[in-house]
Amino acid sequence: MVNVFSVPVFFVCFRESLETSIIVSVLLAFLKQTLGPEREPRVWWGIIIGIAISLCIGCGMIGAFYGLGKNHFSGTEDIWEGAFGLLAALIITAMGAALLRVSKLQDKWRVKLAQALEAKDNKKRSAGDRFKRWAEKYAMFLLPFITVLREGLEAVVFIGGVGLATPASAFPLAVMCGIGAGCLVGYLVYRGGNAAKLQLFLIISTCFLYLVAAGLFSKAVWFLENNTWNHVVGGDAAETGAGPGSYDIRQSVWHINFGSPLLNGGGGWGVFNSILGWQNSATYGSVLAYNLYWVAVICGFLAMRYNEAKGHWSLMKPKAKRISESDAASDTSSQQGEVIAETYEPKKVSTDFDAARSSARQLDA
Amino acid sequence: MALSLSNFLYSSLLLLLPFGLIADAATVTFDWNVTWVRANPDGKFERPTMGINNQWPLPLLNITKGDNVIININNQLGNQSTSFHFHGLFMNGTTEMDGPVGATQCGIPPGSSFTYNFTIDQPGTYWYHAHQRGQYPDGLRGPLLVNDLESPYLGQYDEEVLLTLSDWYHHEMPELIAKFISVANPTGAEPVPNSALINDTQNVTVPVQPGRTYLFRMVNMGAFASQYFWIEGHTMTIVEVDGVYTEPAEASMIYLTAAQRYSFLLTTKNETSSNFAFVASMDHDLFDKVPKGLNSNTTGWLVYDSNVERPIPALLDAFDAFDDFNLVPQDGQKLLLNVNYIMTLDMKMKTLGDGANYASFNDVTYVRPKVPTLYTALSTGASATDVTVYGGNTDAFVLAKDEVIEIVLNNDDPGKHPFHLHGHNFQAVLRSDKDTGFYDSMNHTAFPAVPMRRDTFWVKPDGHVVLRFKSDNPGVWLFHCHIEWHVNSGLVATIIEAPLEMQKTTSIPSDHWRVCRDSQTPYAGNAAGNTVDLLDLTGENKSPAPLPAGFTAKGIVALVFSIISALLGMVVISWYGAAPIGTSELQSAEKRIAEAGTEVK
Repeated sequence: MVNVFSVPVFFVCFRESLETSIIVSVLLAFLKQTLGPEREPRVWWGIIIGIAISLCIGCGMIGAFYGLGKNHFSGTEDIWEGAFGLLAALIITAMGAALLRVSKLQDKWRVKLAQALEAKDNKKRSAGDRFKRWAEKYAMFLLPFITVLREGLEAVVFIGGVGLATPASAFPLAVMCGIGAGCLVGYLVYRGGNAAKLQLFLIISTCFLYLVAAGLFSKAVWFLENNTWNHVVGGDAAETGAGPGSYDIRQSVWHINFGSPLLNGGGGWGVFNSILGWQNSATYGSVLAYNLYWVAVICGFLAMRYNEAKGHWSLMKPKAKRISESDAASDTSSQQGEVIAETYEPKKVSTDFDAARSSARQLDA
Repeated sequence: MALSLSNFLYSSLLLLLPFGLIADAATVTFDWNVTWVRANPDGKFERPTMGINNQWPLPLLNITKGDNVIININNQLGNQSTSFHFHGLFMNGTTEMDGPVGATQCGIPPGSSFTYNFTIDQPGTYWYHAHQRGQYPDGLRGPLLVNDLESPYLGQYDEEVLLTLSDWYHHEMPELIAKFISVANPTGAEPVPNSALINDTQNVTVPVQPGRTYLFRMVNMGAFASQYFWIEGHTMTIVEVDGVYTEPAEASMIYLTAAQRYSFLLTTKNETSSNFAFVASMDHDLFDKVPKGLNSNTTGWLVYDSNVERPIPALLDAFDAFDDFNLVPQDGQKLLLNVNYIMTLDMKMKTLGDGANYASFNDVTYVRPKVPTLYTALSTGASATDVTVYGGNTDAFVLAKDEVIEIVLNNDDPGKHPFHLHGHNFQAVLRSDKDTGFYDSMNHTAFPAVPMRRDTFWVKPDGHVVLRFKSDNPGVWLFHCHIEWHVNSGLVATIIEAPLEMQKTTSIPSDHWRVCRDSQTPYAGNAAGNTVDLLDLTGENKSPAPLPAGFTAKGIVALVFSIISALLGMVVISWYGAAPIGTSELQSAEKRIAEAGTEVK
């Protein structure tokens, strides 16, 4: 069994492709139902370019390892993992909130918004604002790209590490099955997304995305602390296994000798680690990071809801006046604008839609 | 460093004194001030070393068997306590002079004086060294030779040659110990020596005459490294190990662990056309990582003709050393039978709760007790036979007098370890191969009828050894690994032999008590210093607690909190997602669309 199917390699490929395919399928399902199918190619381009780059870098690293006999990557591996993890967590956090927010708009609004995003931007804006707009436009490319890049590199590095002791014949079947299983789960998520009510699907998948992002954030901190520990000990602490000496006792919140997501491919614990950020050896840093992340997310959503309801961020002056000031030209329109603001409710949209549309025309004029 | 024949003539003169006079054995007195001396023995690095009377290397103690030795120590180091142990001497009836701090005496603090007074009634090659925390590798060690006028080999050699071997560090021990026992060294990698020395120097030359027989006496005074030793072009005939005469055994290479001694006869060639190299090579098996640039081979030469060039020794493919297990003691002492007591010691290294690596016997890491063990034995009356009074971290065993004791040492560590017993030599009846695991008394190679005897014997990785001796020497004797790093990390057991007998026959001189008072060390009571309730050990010195096994309370709290925050987060997300869009959100969307100037379709 071992010679044609390497179980550690299977698990590595499964968990990397699982994370990627879930994120991608959520995006695709969302796109299909909302902003329209013409947005989809961006997602695929993100995936393809991400795979290509991670393959190149990965092959380069493995070639260097076998050719030069030195594992140049291992010294900085933890820093890479930490940095990528942080970046990915931030992107998923921003995107998840944006998707959920946009999904609350009714269909036609969404379509129009999407078109607005595409339109050429002639106004002068600050650099931060311009970056924000660029990110919104290419979000569908960026998120899959970063995710695939990170997962791909991780997979190559792990297989390179695990695979040293494995005969080459054990690779192909394990790799294909691992990636296949991950894609299957993603496909099921996509189908589920299409079948279910969009709102419900998005809520569930956003919860899931945030779980993944929380795990990523916590892991990023863990990797950076692990890097410090490797320097203290002078080598790769994981070489001592998962027992004493592989972690810094002074930073440890809990440590159990089994359940390591790193050793020997990680097995099921590795999947647990990539979905939820599980570590068999938790530090103060990683635990605090996890909890603070959720606190920040909770505060963020509460603040967004407050902002949406009141028109301004809490502790700040209302913005409502600004809108009416810019339309100071027409008293009637401002009044109608206020009417819309006061009376808007989801169910009433369809009935007030014509009124809203006409007043929108007036705003344009 | 050859000893001349005149020493022997002088010693044999002593034999002419009338037999009746017991006081015929001389008393030799030494006054030693322990001082700091700067030295650079390997020519690479000058460093402070501990010397005697402002000299380093330390003096050779050359004593005739039967002499009474008095050494007056004055500690002038200024910043460290010290003590001296005379390795291999039985100290029969003088256990208080044996030397290990915490076992038989208090440490001699700076400025204090202490006298060692004992008689040597055994022949052979020995050495003396500090027995205070990791101190002797800083230089405080020297050779001790006993001249035996009744030696079975007397007359078979013309001259004696002394060769001491040692490893050498460039940094001082307190600094190295701090790095060794630390959270940053969880695997317990021992510091690798920077070089090796022969006779505390390098490039030693031994002038030899052709056609003569020499008795070479060798001591490994190192802290850590075992050494292979061979002489090119010559065979060695082993005649003594650790003070025990053996039947002559031919060897081309011998292996000396730290603290072991060998004496061998060497017959020189009949021509002087060439000189021959001898090499001492440190055993790399003990080293965690061999640093680049380490020269673990030290070379010296037998010089037949000083005008002829000294050859470079040939490289060897493999080390093939004589197995000391095959030696046969010359006195033919038979295997001790009818074992009365078996001491089983399972040794292991593991990381404890402070993150550092410690060694243990039977899961107990040795920590020095508050009261030196000997003083506990003398001050606890009838309770001295209860092993509890000696503390929970001294790995203590109480033995009765005149029994046959068997030590079974199981090495649960993938390293070689040389074990040494104070106060005795022992019969080494079994040394297993590596990776054979624990000793099985039902299933083992038959013990030799006349087993080899010595006081320092090494065990193979993940193997075991069995040793036997007779408990005929009341006293407190340590049994420990002679790798100094492991002594510091707790690989020490304490034997309290016939404590009630000790109470009758041992008397402690007043300067020993004074040294305890000078260093504010308690000198009565159990291991915690309790003189009232001898079985109450509250306050005793303990090793760090073991690592927590699995989840502790703080781990469970952290995990539960994290799960709760995740669940709360998901509740908030769901609430947000289900809530209708706010008014201003719609407005900003409209504004965005308006700015883009898109026509509504």
